[in-house]
Amino acid sequence: MTVHGLVARLVALVRKRQFEEELDGEIAAHLELAERDALASGLSPEQARIAARKQFGGIESMKEQHRDRRSFPWLENAWRDVCYGVAGLRRDPGFTAVVVGVLALGVGANVAMFGLLDAVMLKPLPFGNPDRIVRIWEAPRPGVTNSTTAPDFLDWRQMATTFEALTAESPISMALTGAGDPVRLDGRAVTADYFRVFDVGVQLGRTFQPRDLEPGHEAVIVLSHATWESVFGADRGIVNRKILLDGEPHEVIGVLRPGAFDRSEEARFWRPLVIQPGQYKRGVHWLMVHGRLRPNLTPLQARDEMRRIAASLRDVTPSHKHTWLVEVEPLQKLLLGDNLRQSMYLMFGAVVLVLLIACANIANLLLAKGAARRKEMVIRTALGASRSRLGAQLLTETLVLAALGGAAGLALASFLVSAAAPFLAEMVPYTTTLALDYRALAFAGVIVSLVGVLIGGLPAMQISAANIGSSLQQASRGSSGGKHSLRRFIVVAEVALSLVLVCGASLLFRSLLNLRAVETGVRIENVVTMSVNLPLQTYRTPAAAATFFESLRERVRAVPGVSQAALSTHLPLRWVGNGEAIEVAGQPAPINVRFKRVDAGYMDAFGIPLLKGRGIAESDRHGSPRVMVINEALAARLADAAGIRNPVGMTVGLYCPVYGERRTTTEQVEIVGVIRNERVAAPGAPHPPIVYVPLSQVPIDGVKLIVRSDIDSAAVIAGVREALGSVDSHLPLGDIATMREVRERTLAGASRPAWLIGVFAGFAALLAAIGLYGVISQTVNQRRREMGIRMALGARASDVVGHVLGDALQLVLIGLVVGASGAFALTRFAKSLLFGVSPLDPVAFVIACGAMVSIGIVACLIPASRAARLDPAMTLREEG
Amino acid sequence: MSKEKSEIPYGTLDLLILRSLETIGRMHGYALARRIEQVCGESLQLSQGSIYPALIRLEQEGWIDTTWGVSETNRKVKFYSLTEAGRKQVAVEIANWEKATALVARFLGATS
Repeated sequence: MTVHGLVARLVALVRKRQFEEELDGEIAAHLELAERDALASGLSPEQARIAARKQFGGIESMKEQHRDRRSFPWLENAWRDVCYGVAGLRRDPGFTAVVVGVLALGVGANVAMFGLLDAVMLKPLPFGNPDRIVRIWEAPRPGVTNSTTAPDFLDWRQMATTFEALTAESPISMALTGAGDPVRLDGRAVTADYFRVFDVGVQLGRTFQPRDLEPGHEAVIVLSHATWESVFGADRGIVNRKILLDGEPHEVIGVLRPGAFDRSEEARFWRPLVIQPGQYKRGVHWLMVHGRLRPNLTPLQARDEMRRIAASLRDVTPSHKHTWLVEVEPLQKLLLGDNLRQSMYLMFGAVVLVLLIACANIANLLLAKGAARRKEMVIRTALGASRSRLGAQLLTETLVLAALGGAAGLALASFLVSAAAPFLAEMVPYTTTLALDYRALAFAGVIVSLVGVLIGGLPAMQISAANIGSSLQQASRGSSGGKHSLRRFIVVAEVALSLVLVCGASLLFRSLLNLRAVETGVRIENVVTMSVNLPLQTYRTPAAAATFFESLRERVRAVPGVSQAALSTHLPLRWVGNGEAIEVAGQPAPINVRFKRVDAGYMDAFGIPLLKGRGIAESDRHGSPRVMVINEALAARLADAAGIRNPVGMTVGLYCPVYGERRTTTEQVEIVGVIRNERVAAPGAPHPPIVYVPLSQVPIDGVKLIVRSDIDSAAVIAGVREALGSVDSHLPLGDIATMREVRERTLAGASRPAWLIGVFAGFAALLAAIGLYGVISQTVNQRRREMGIRMALGARASDVVGHVLGDALQLVLIGLVVGASGAFALTRFAKSLLFGVSPLDPVAFVIACGAMVSIGIVACLIPASRAARLDPAMTLREEG
Repeated sequence: MSKEKSEIPYGTLDLLILRSLETIGRMHGYALARRIEQVCGESLQLSQGSIYPALIRLEQEGWIDTTWGVSETNRKVKFYSLTEAGRKQVAVEIANWEKATALVARFLGATS
């Protein structure tokens, strides 16, 4: 068929009446002409008419053929059924609205959840051949990963054959000046093959070449697309232009294509990584290594090769690292993380339950409607409509409902996704873009078809099951008291499924409460945090940096509204990424510790109590005797390992990073105090041993500024920015966040899924309530007569209410028993996400059951009170 | 059904209609039916009505055009005429038909 023909046929479909009229006109004209000719040939008028008819042939069969030819008859039939279905639905708008609404909830939640799952887990990462990108770690113990050293990276790169390219990177943070307020940009110093490993193309310019990594040529940068747009206003002339970073001119050589890295806060630009001769040390771990596997090689093969290489380097490796291993982990797996994967499965399972409940609800409503239409169907059957024809019509009606619900669900899903995207951004990797696309659309199509099949057959089944003769008799009597076991079964199933969800949700919420109640060891109210980074070119010596920090703190303290100010390299509730070691006299091996620099205000600002000795004091300055404070965990470790009861006053060897360089020196440092543990690791994880050293004694080029205030945080931030500007006008403030937000971020992985599942459980309970309400009110309607008789015989209103409620509670209780066993079997899948709660926590189960019973009672109150208000005389008359 | 009279072979009615319109030009349905009967003579058994489903299809394919006119009995009727595409289609249909008959003839010649 040509396109012309196709279009013409579609036109014919909608202009049916016009075609019919024209055809009738043509037939009449034809017969008239034929008759005239026949008359002319000498036949009588009667004979002429018969002859004309005979020559013409069968008119009706020709018309039928005409219809078939000019259009798509099957489409026309289907269209007629759809029109009929729509008309039927418009006659009962309440029913239609409820079914479409329920379906929209189910489909919407599922499509939105699929969009999330797809974006996070199914879609390939936004890099070329992303499945070949791996992260290579050193592993002190199985399951513990560590960055690596410059010499190890260079050896790996030279010896490894399983990789097409290997690249090392290290985080950097620089101040962009020269245009308005200084802006802080976080980026990565990377080796030349970085963009080969990640396979991200440029939109403008180029990426790094080996000559960019030669000393003296490293003042070039590549921008992410998002940075180019947000910071440089998408200026196409940026390439080859020089910009000021930390006061030094840097040439922009390229801008990446949109997509990859655009949501990353940590990688907004890239600069060549030049390894200085002083950094060739096998004890200093500062490089993150990624590799691109050769085609058809597995991460496991690469791991085996890397372990062989590590073994061959044993002679040059420090002895304490001889037990270390090398791990190779696919990037996708690394970004996703076990917890997120678990949460995804759990949330998707929850949302599928919601859909099942929605389907059960709709089936229930359809059954109720089917029962109400039984009389109509029986009469139509008696009048000769075939069962298959009636079935097809009912099926179409359900499919129309499914399509409407699907469309509404899609709209709901797109709303949900756009509304939830900011809420979920903390939870998903930076490579994920949350938006619904054609894949979600296809998924919606699949779901709606499945739902259509699942519920579509029900009304049709009812018809074929109906015994016409008996139904007619029953219908004429007004059908008093049917059994409706199917509908009751569905309600039980709904209650059971909802209970599973509500149990899961209440477990997760109890776990969330536990997480919130976790002793953080710090006071976080009214605290705003920011970060400040110093360019090494301007602050060349540790003394210069120490002076800067001192004057910064002075100025910030003077800002109106600021009650306390402190500096630290790491915020409370955030992991201390800096690991060093202490050497204790008489101990064979150094003790690994976390290394955190703080100033004299830190302990006060967060209210961390001192247990022994003293804290960091203002007098611990650059050049004064070196001191440190340790946390309880380290004190306990010292007591265990070395039998040191009172560490205060003893001197230990501490590995201290050298200012502006990637190396450490061992300094003799006196322990002057012990403080209580502050939480730096995930809730539930043990506190690591931490040393706190005065920032002035071991300065660094990047710190967090912590401000406690009693006024609005926006005003405080403006004041702090001014204070910073008065110390050094080229320095920007970065990472502005309240401590509450910091804490939220730490808990996001646990709280987001809990909230989502809570919402789904709410949906489910609501749907179950609707289902229960529907069944009970129908039962009440059908038993009006029985209740009328009872009341006529002296039953009180309260007896009737009790009877109805008892009936409903019976359903709820059966549902609870089934649901509880389901929940017993299923909640253990949430185990890894639960904190301080057993998957079989009786409190959570009791709460869930209580909630479902209350919902059941509420759902039945309306029909029950209606039953109580029955007028016995009326009901008996109306049914008689 | 008598043996001398045959129904129109499947698919040839289109060709007959197009060819008639090509030869005669614009005409209405009855005239077209009469024309086909006359040319084919007594050997054809045509239900005149059967041209209408064929006409609608040819129109939809864009090979014939319809205009409104007045019949000999003063009734408003559709007149059919060939379009430019239809003119080309006649040649295609004739070529197809000749190919098909030649094939069948060769086949019959080879097996007889």
